[in-house]
Amino acid sequence: MNIVVCVKQVPDTTEVKINMETGTLIRAGVPSIINPYDHFALAAALELKKKHNFKVTALSMGPPQAKSVVQMAMALGADEGVLLSDMAFAGSDTWATSYALAKAIKKIGKTDMVFCGMQAIDGDTAQTGPGVAQQLGMAQITFCESVEVDGRRIIARRLIDGGHETVEAKAPVTLTMIMDREYVARYPSFPAVHGSLKKPFHVWSAADIGAEDQYLGLKGSPTQVNKIYPPAQKEKAAMFSGSGQEGARKILEIMRGEHFIE
Amino acid sequence: MASIDAISRNLMLDSLMAYAKRRIPYDLIRELDAKNEFPADILKEMYDPAILGVHLLMIPEEYGGVSGGSYDIYRICEALARIDLGIATGVFATFLGTDPLNVGGTVEQKEKWLRRIASERLLVAYAATEADAGSDLVNLRTRAEHVVANGRITGYRITGNKQWISNGGVADMYTVLAMAPGGPSWFIVEKDMEGFSPNKHEDKHGIRLSNTAGLSLDNVLVPAANLIGMEEGKGLLQAQAVFGYTRLMVAAFGLGAGSEALEQAVRYSQQRIQAGTPLSEKQGYTHKLIVPNAVRLEAARSYIEETANRLDGGEHGLQTEGSIAKYSASEAGNHAAEDAIQALGGYGYTKDFPVEKIKRDVKITCIYEGTSEIMEMTIYRGRWQEHLKTRGRYYFDMADKMDALHAENPDTGAHASALALRALGAVMEECRVQKLTRHQHVTFKLGKLIAAAEVAACFSRAAAADKYSETVRFDKQGWQAMARIFARETALAAAAEGLALVLGVAENAGTLSDAVNIDAVQAAQKGMLADMDLVALKLKQAFKAK
Repeated sequence: MNIVVCVKQVPDTTEVKINMETGTLIRAGVPSIINPYDHFALAAALELKKKHNFKVTALSMGPPQAKSVVQMAMALGADEGVLLSDMAFAGSDTWATSYALAKAIKKIGKTDMVFCGMQAIDGDTAQTGPGVAQQLGMAQITFCESVEVDGRRIIARRLIDGGHETVEAKAPVTLTMIMDREYVARYPSFPAVHGSLKKPFHVWSAADIGAEDQYLGLKGSPTQVNKIYPPAQKEKAAMFSGSGQEGARKILEIMRGEHFIE
Repeated sequence: MASIDAISRNLMLDSLMAYAKRRIPYDLIRELDAKNEFPADILKEMYDPAILGVHLLMIPEEYGGVSGGSYDIYRICEALARIDLGIATGVFATFLGTDPLNVGGTVEQKEKWLRRIASERLLVAYAATEADAGSDLVNLRTRAEHVVANGRITGYRITGNKQWISNGGVADMYTVLAMAPGGPSWFIVEKDMEGFSPNKHEDKHGIRLSNTAGLSLDNVLVPAANLIGMEEGKGLLQAQAVFGYTRLMVAAFGLGAGSEALEQAVRYSQQRIQAGTPLSEKQGYTHKLIVPNAVRLEAARSYIEETANRLDGGEHGLQTEGSIAKYSASEAGNHAAEDAIQALGGYGYTKDFPVEKIKRDVKITCIYEGTSEIMEMTIYRGRWQEHLKTRGRYYFDMADKMDALHAENPDTGAHASALALRALGAVMEECRVQKLTRHQHVTFKLGKLIAAAEVAACFSRAAAADKYSETVRFDKQGWQAMARIFARETALAAAAEGLALVLGVAENAGTLSDAVNIDAVQAAQKGMLADMDLVALKLKQAFKAK
């Protein structure tokens, strides 16, 4: 089987701050990382590759420096890498992104499984994976925890409200992966990084994948972002421990202190 | 040596830092530091090609390595130093021990030994130092005698003692410098050879995670094939050929350890509230303990990067440059670590916070691979020759280039750098005319002034670039202010200290008091406080409280 894993380069959101005056993200000096959900999806795909000798292609869209996440995927074991990079893609929302990724997957060739992270930690939309499936006319299984393959049967265990559900599908299928809490992200060794330079890597433009301009970038995006702002800071709760009686006494004390009661 | 592309280099750095975060937390480092214990398992993992393979940086691709260049090695060394300078030293010793082979080994020797180092995760040690042979290797006592059979040299019998050898007690293979009949030569000695034994692990002030031991060699029989380069008497040349970039590695250690200490101080200063405001808001704190250190460290970084890029561009040797880089960065690192303890106050003085350990560790960077004083001498010697060769034009020519840079870009401190270079050139010329360099004090002090002036010029050049380093965490405004601060301080030092130096020795200073142009140097100090305020702000933005 042939697998395509979609990976996104995101700013390490633990370090991102918002410029309150302009309402934009301050990205200077913030390290870029591979989206953790995609990292997990990649690991799941590479596990299947190891077991069944499948071919794995890593696919990303972004500015030239996003090559980094594709190369990282190759260093971790993906056989081939593709980066969609073109000014025409800039400003694409999830709809336009799904369209471009789907076009690229068609160009990559026969694909049995598309792996995506459930969502990216910068946008948190969780729309791109399902969007790709829709564009490709593929079945989709979302919120997967693990995936097994038995012949032509693809068996996914997915998270649902209050439990799990096991779903079976035939290829081709798109799977979006949640992240195992125990999962420790793997990093490639120095020689693996070095070796990844020898793997086939392609940079494709909009023209290369036959994407039409009107469906790309800002003008191809039905969603427009008006403003970004941090949520109002909630007041911090104070925590006290002790017996019920001590708690009650504490509450009374605070209420008196705030002059709610005399 | 080939260089690695930026994306691959940064992926390697990410892998290294992720490994360190997971596997070498501060609590473990603290425990090993207290126990004076070498973490053999961690070093073996770091050398494991399936986990990291950090030692492969030094090994050319054709022997199973990844062919790192000087720039790559600088970046990795800086990162290693931020983790722990003891662990960094363990890795560095392998780099260093591999060097005589890289530089002087025959193809067969490289094929055999470099490949083994790459694939068998061998820890290597570099054994040159002896009780009476440190900075001066001429008094080498370890002897290598010929073993002859049928009129042919089949091997060597090596006898002698080495001391302060990093990885001494834990290495699998050693490159040992010994006096052969044909002169000083490098030999490969394996740990289990008969007559070879390491002594006890030293109880050191710092870098306690690095194993340091003496070696004793008692009639150790080494095959003739283990003579590096298969030719006797090349040892000192082979050792010196690599000083340019081995010193660059130690420079990166000083930079990394110092920067780590500084960043911790900057983060802390935003949390500690005294008299109603955080310490980070107080000039008395930031402009004494934080800003000057950031400036010195970034100035040293610019010089390290320029030298690394020149080495990667194919220039050879660069011994003086390597010495300037090491001297500037290791001294800056020490200052920064010392001030970081002060900046953290009582906390800084405890072992609960890493700055106390960094301060002990970083001291070694002023000692190994040539002490700071040997650096002052080397720098003076190298540039004194240039001064004589150019009939005193060397620093005036460099100053002209700074003037041109200033005309193009007035924000880089190039004007003050030019003043520093001219003052230096005038001081050196006065020393020549009055024959003052017969006093060792004068020569070493000149070494210090030379290093600062060249670093200032380099920082001005770097500050004119759009992105002066791929690692830097603050913006152009920030590092240009740093370049200006450094250039101003350097101009003042070159003029005032240079003049004082001459006046302290000679009957009179001739026309030197005019030539150092103290009026212009004073005028150039304008704007200093505003720049320091700006740098304090940029540092706070870059290294936020956690």
